[in-house]
Amino acid sequence: MENRVIKIYHGPQHPGITGNMSLELDLLGETIKGARTHVGYLHRGFEKLVERRTIIQAFTIVCRICVPEPDPNEENFARAIETLAGIEISDRAKYIRTMVLEMARVASLLLWIGGQSGSIGLGTVGQWSLFDRDLILDLFEELTGGRVYHMYIYPGGVRRELPDGFLDKLFELLDYLEDRLPLYDKVFFENATFKKRAIGVGVVNRDEALKNGYVGQVLRGCGIKRDTRRDNPYLVYEDLDFEIPTFNGCDVYARAMVRRGEIRESIKILRQIIEKMPKDGKIMQKIPKHRRFKIPKDDTFVSTESARGEYSYYIAGDGSEKIRRMQVKGASLIHGFTLLEKLLIDEELSNVAMIMNSLGICPPEIER
Amino acid sequence: MKFSLDIKGSITPFVAVGRVFEEPKTICYPFEKKEIAKGYRGFHTNSLDKCIGCANCQDVCMNDAIDMIPIKEDRNPKNSSGCIPRIDYGRCCWCSLCTDVCPPSSLKLEEDCIWASDDSNNFLYMPKDK
Repeated sequence: MENRVIKIYHGPQHPGITGNMSLELDLLGETIKGARTHVGYLHRGFEKLVERRTIIQAFTIVCRICVPEPDPNEENFARAIETLAGIEISDRAKYIRTMVLEMARVASLLLWIGGQSGSIGLGTVGQWSLFDRDLILDLFEELTGGRVYHMYIYPGGVRRELPDGFLDKLFELLDYLEDRLPLYDKVFFENATFKKRAIGVGVVNRDEALKNGYVGQVLRGCGIKRDTRRDNPYLVYEDLDFEIPTFNGCDVYARAMVRRGEIRESIKILRQIIEKMPKDGKIMQKIPKHRRFKIPKDDTFVSTESARGEYSYYIAGDGSEKIRRMQVKGASLIHGFTLLEKLLIDEELSNVAMIMNSLGICPPEIER
Repeated sequence: MKFSLDIKGSITPFVAVGRVFEEPKTICYPFEKKEIAKGYRGFHTNSLDKCIGCANCQDVCMNDAIDMIPIKEDRNPKNSSGCIPRIDYGRCCWCSLCTDVCPPSSLKLEEDCIWASDDSNNFLYMPKDK
């Protein structure tokens, strides 16, 4: 019987991704001969919704753009508004914001471990990492009043003071997480099954990586040391000592090892923040009231390093209390279209979920 | 395909077996309940002794979830509009902006956050007087 190319839909619900996104695959046997990304399941029109609301009202929307890691959205939005309105926040607020961003990074990377291990059938590891992530969410609940959508980083500072004993609890949690990392190494990162499946799969062309605008672990997994926290420092990252983990394989395993290194570095950063955080200082600058908070006719572009790579916002004001235009540029768009469609060619069908997960694609962020 | 045996990588994952003897991490809901953190953004409460009916909460709500409802009894004499907020929990996103802008700090969020009803009208929530 003659071999025929058949077409199947992979998704929109599948283990490779947080959210809904489907792939149209052309299969010859088990081998992929063509892939096209289909999105549109999660479009909520946030960029347009923001234009109809005042700045204070818009602040509550932006965190919903990316579900697994909302805090870089809040930071980008707040920093852009502060830049346009000429507000300088206190050192203490900067430290608290950095702490929130790093906690969110660790939580997001633990969620990623759950996704990546689940995509190759190592379900137990996912159960453990999601439990550990929940411990971070418990701290977020105490600090911000919400577990996932924190709505905490606000133009002018942060909304609440740290609860009593919060930094001690964080310190204990960091000790716990540090003790857990060798366990994750044994059951996941050094697991022969994972290595066998991941090494040499989903190899990104190193020369194209920079040219095509790939970011985050995809770039660092190719051995290229790029990180917004270092290249274009914001908040207090200039005062903190941390490494940028890189790996040279350019494959799924390299990206996993980069993430492994990032958890360790984030824990290191959080320990420094606990040590260096100023005891006193205003957490919130005085800002105008709701209808009187206006930004001048100007525009700005800000970037934050999220757990998936550089995450940027363009915000333009027109002198009123509303934002004229907001544009979100996340890591997922370029990884989900340009890179993924190319990477899947000649790969096995069983590797699709693993490759998608290794790129850290987040459909809510692609569609906004 | 080249065959190679990763002995260490094949043995180390078995450390997971040791965790079989650990206590379970899950809780047996509803017999056992998780403690909710102090300051959690749950249901609204409104102190009628303090509420001045200014409708700032209604103005700031980005989801149009707050309606000002007339009230006759038990109201603050300074409540000039004679109205108090009612929240539509089908629209509310618990952002807490309404409590931030409340001038007398009468509107607050409490830790209680579990709500189930088979009637959608019950989601038009009148905050408890606290």
